[in-house]
Amino acid sequence: MVDVGMTLEMVQASQLGMKALGAGLAVGLTGIGAGVAEMAIGSAAVGATAENRDVFGLVLLLTVIPETIVIFGLVVALLLLF
Amino acid sequence: MAGISSSGLATNYIYACTRMRVRRSLLIPREDYLRMLNMSLPEITRFIGETNYRSEIDELGTSFSGINLVEEALSWNLAKEYQSILGLVPGELKYFTASYLRRWDIQNVVTILRGKMQGMRPGKIKEVLVPAGRLDKVALDRLLTEDSPERVVEALKGERFYPILETELPRAIETGSFAHLENELYKSYYARLILDATEGVKGGKIFLKYIELEIDTRNIQNLFRLRAGHVREDVRELMIPGGSFSVEELQRLSGLEDRDEFIDALKRQVRAAPLLNTLEAIRGKSVLHEIEVALTRVQLDQMERMSKRYPFSILPILVYLEEKKYEVANLRALARGKEADLPGERLQGYLVM
Repeated sequence: MVDVGMTLEMVQASQLGMKALGAGLAVGLTGIGAGVAEMAIGSAAVGATAENRDVFGLVLLLTVIPETIVIFGLVVALLLLF
Repeated sequence: MAGISSSGLATNYIYACTRMRVRRSLLIPREDYLRMLNMSLPEITRFIGETNYRSEIDELGTSFSGINLVEEALSWNLAKEYQSILGLVPGELKYFTASYLRRWDIQNVVTILRGKMQGMRPGKIKEVLVPAGRLDKVALDRLLTEDSPERVVEALKGERFYPILETELPRAIETGSFAHLENELYKSYYARLILDATEGVKGGKIFLKYIELEIDTRNIQNLFRLRAGHVREDVRELMIPGGSFSVEELQRLSGLEDRDEFIDALKRQVRAAPLLNTLEAIRGKSVLHEIEVALTRVQLDQMERMSKRYPFSILPILVYLEEKKYEVANLRALARGKEADLPGERLQGYLVM
């Protein structure tokens, strides 16, 4: 990417762009991962709740557990940007 | 990852199978059966009125009493449960579930034919019907209004099993026994199940595993029954083809005189360890119903194990349907037994727990 014809400003701008891209990927991909994981858990949770309402609180907790992956992604993104 | 590969379809499977597992966990446990063995009929009625059968017991409490209330409530609950499952299972699972539930059509039609033959009142026949199959309450009511067995069969034109009914009915009426007709209907039912499983619908292979297990268990049970009845003639007509034993093999097995030799020969053909253990345990049992219960139990356990190997398939649903069927049968046996003043120890031998 960096060739001799580039100015310092150009290099800095490019690095900033790469960081933003990395941060975006970190949040985006973990979001997709969490979604996939929650798909199966969510359908099982809805099934279990349909039969027994008492488990709603518990299955809600189980459903959002994969969200932790997104939080990791978010932390990585923030570390990259700031 | 089952979830990604089939674009959301698998989530339906997960949903339906989870519901079945939850329902299965709400079935009456062994300890409760043991407690019920020491109860009287009104106590049993009250006990099941506090479980899943509450709405039926409440609803029917005004029109029936005693044993009839229990019987009716159980049949209603079973039919309602099966229809609700048919409503909630998705796509291919619905296809297989409906296919499995056709068994009840056969039972209902044969019951109606027998009732008509005996000249029973339609209301009386209706009490023992379980509208869980394709023929719903309305269709069964229509059949009940017909006056003779011939008219009942005529009204079933267009159903899958009509050709068999048509050819077998004259013989059944002539001999006064519907046994042969019933055998043929069930054989065609199993043949049709195999056809449904093998015609390429997704998940059919897993369904086929269940069908084979079911046919094998039925055949082995029938062999034991025939031995108990000292039937040594040609049993080929009584066996269901399509299982892991060929009909010829079953005929050979039924020809063995010595009971131990028969069990040994059977054991050589069987690979599943739990069934082998049960066959070994059966060696010490001489009462037929105990043998049947042991074989049914091992079939249910085997299905349960298979359903864990294929957690999101037709199997968890079938496991629940079968276990529910036996729960109703158990409660009916308990209620009937208590009505007849049978001792608890004797009744226990008839329960599939």
